[in-house]
Amino acid sequence: MYTLGIDIGSTTSKCVILEDGANIVASSLVVGGIGTSGPEQALSRVFQDSGLTREQMDGVAATGYGRNRCGETELKVSELTCHGLGAHFVFPQVRTIIDIGGQDAKVISLDDAGRMQNFLMNDKCEAGTGRFLDVMANILCIPVNDFGDWAAKAKAPASISSTCTVFAESEVISQLAAGTETADLVAGICASVAGRVASLAKRINIVPEVCMSGGVAQNSGVRLALAEAIGQPIEFSPLAQLFGALGAALYAYHKIK
Amino acid sequence: MTVQELLGRFHEVAVHPAAQKDALLAQGKKIVLTAPVYTPEEIIHAMGAVPMGAWGGDLELENSKKYFPAFICSIAQSIVELGMKGVYEGVSAIVIPSLCDSLKVLGENWKYAVPSIPFIPMTYPQNRKPAFGQTFTLAGYQRVIADLEKATGLTFDEAKLADSMEVYNQHNAAMRELTAVLADHPEITAAQRSDIFKSAWFMLKEEHTALVNQLVEALKAQPAGAAKTRILVSGILTDAPGLTSILDECGLQVVADDVAAESRQYRTDSPAEGTPLERLAAKFCNMDHCSLLYDVEKKRVNLIVDQAKSLNAQGVLLVLTKFCDPEEFDVPLIRRACQAASLPCSVIEVDRQMVNYEQARTAIETFRDLLSESM
Repeated sequence: MYTLGIDIGSTTSKCVILEDGANIVASSLVVGGIGTSGPEQALSRVFQDSGLTREQMDGVAATGYGRNRCGETELKVSELTCHGLGAHFVFPQVRTIIDIGGQDAKVISLDDAGRMQNFLMNDKCEAGTGRFLDVMANILCIPVNDFGDWAAKAKAPASISSTCTVFAESEVISQLAAGTETADLVAGICASVAGRVASLAKRINIVPEVCMSGGVAQNSGVRLALAEAIGQPIEFSPLAQLFGALGAALYAYHKIK
Repeated sequence: MTVQELLGRFHEVAVHPAAQKDALLAQGKKIVLTAPVYTPEEIIHAMGAVPMGAWGGDLELENSKKYFPAFICSIAQSIVELGMKGVYEGVSAIVIPSLCDSLKVLGENWKYAVPSIPFIPMTYPQNRKPAFGQTFTLAGYQRVIADLEKATGLTFDEAKLADSMEVYNQHNAAMRELTAVLADHPEITAAQRSDIFKSAWFMLKEEHTALVNQLVEALKAQPAGAAKTRILVSGILTDAPGLTSILDECGLQVVADDVAAESRQYRTDSPAEGTPLERLAAKFCNMDHCSLLYDVEKKRVNLIVDQAKSLNAQGVLLVLTKFCDPEEFDVPLIRRACQAASLPCSVIEVDRQMVNYEQARTAIETFRDLLSESM
């Protein structure tokens, strides 16, 4: 039995095809989220890589902010539910998931069976999200994917506000004008995101083990800063950005099983 | 009238308060606006005027920002915005109580932003329970009466106040019974439930009571609809169509509420002992279980949990009005109490200017999933 999960986020589109709710047959990740051609490209790529077709899918579920505009399926499910399912699939021992996506941050608590117990979302603000990092990367003219390497070279991380993207942007520009090293600025930016998300996470009882999901999980600078801020090691999987799509495929599997 | 006809009537009044205002003015009635949250409507009613609720509206703030800082209650801001846009023209006055910092600011700004409609302050005491709290409240009501007589040209009579308090007590009883009956009728949507409560702000209470009583009888005569996921909703205001439609799409039934614009209004009756004004003051002083009413014991927290448990609500949804300090202070206490009672609790943040509810939708859908045993 094949099930397909589609995660249409604010900045990327992801697909995962599962066989019998257990084996990942293929996955795709395309830059371009809701309102772009990203979802179609991601679908096209996952079918191409798997050698399967839409007709061979026994169940399809959509998640992410674009789920309700996805014409592929009637099965829509929130990304928090999917990130919980996806993270539990990869890390059965994980009880706390921190998901930092393009436009928001979420913390999810699971019980021993992987069922969601509680969740929190950040308020409607870009600070502490992937968008915040994108804005900062743009100012510094370095790829956001290189933030981890830059942060590792920092000698004295700069202090950056964790309150507001707009204020932080002007702070970074002021620090650049003052001659602050790029590595120190990047480390400060990572710590800023980590501080804001850690505050959110601490509102939920953080039960180990902890993992990160979402695109920002790839950023080792933020991941390490966040681990320090919450006082817990954070599990990481290269599949972290696909947890939503993986969870959607699992959701579809459980629905039709 | 049938259930659907009654619901249609409540909806019409709820979504067209300006038409209701114009119709009342055309009948020669005087209207006095009552701002949140416990304005002494009975006094206005006793003077022969119609109290109409002013809870702002879901609209873009263009003019009122001139008078407010950036981070303040959107309800207060939108009341001023509507006033500045002339939506309230024709009314005789607005009574604004002093129960939170935003309401104090609202009153002071109103004087300058909407000079055509007199502002009447109602200053309530923080300490309601001691005798001096009741004396203070009564003195405040006397000030309101004097200002109302000046603004409306109408006169106050304590005997008529006693009659009006009876009208309001009967309305309270009708709304409490309605709440209990609605808990057994999942076919009534969150949007329809909201319409019933919202329409009460724009009608004479005796007329609203008659319609509510009809609805209660009609509902009792019809079988209950298919079961939904039962929740208790708490907050200041939950009437936004963008919010209620999500609750309905997610298959959630509001079996009880702790909403300031809804059930919190109907918990306390005027007592029988004392002169009419003393009884009205006692009504306010006897009130509890509200974020806006000073209470060191925070009894509201236990009431939410107890109500949710007694009505078999599967979870508690806190609808937090953005920048509402009194509500925010209670959130950690409510969450902790719910957790101790094994009652899932989720918080969403809303304001009067929200046009996109996608983040709230995600949170509510996730909450529904969390409550669902099928997952």
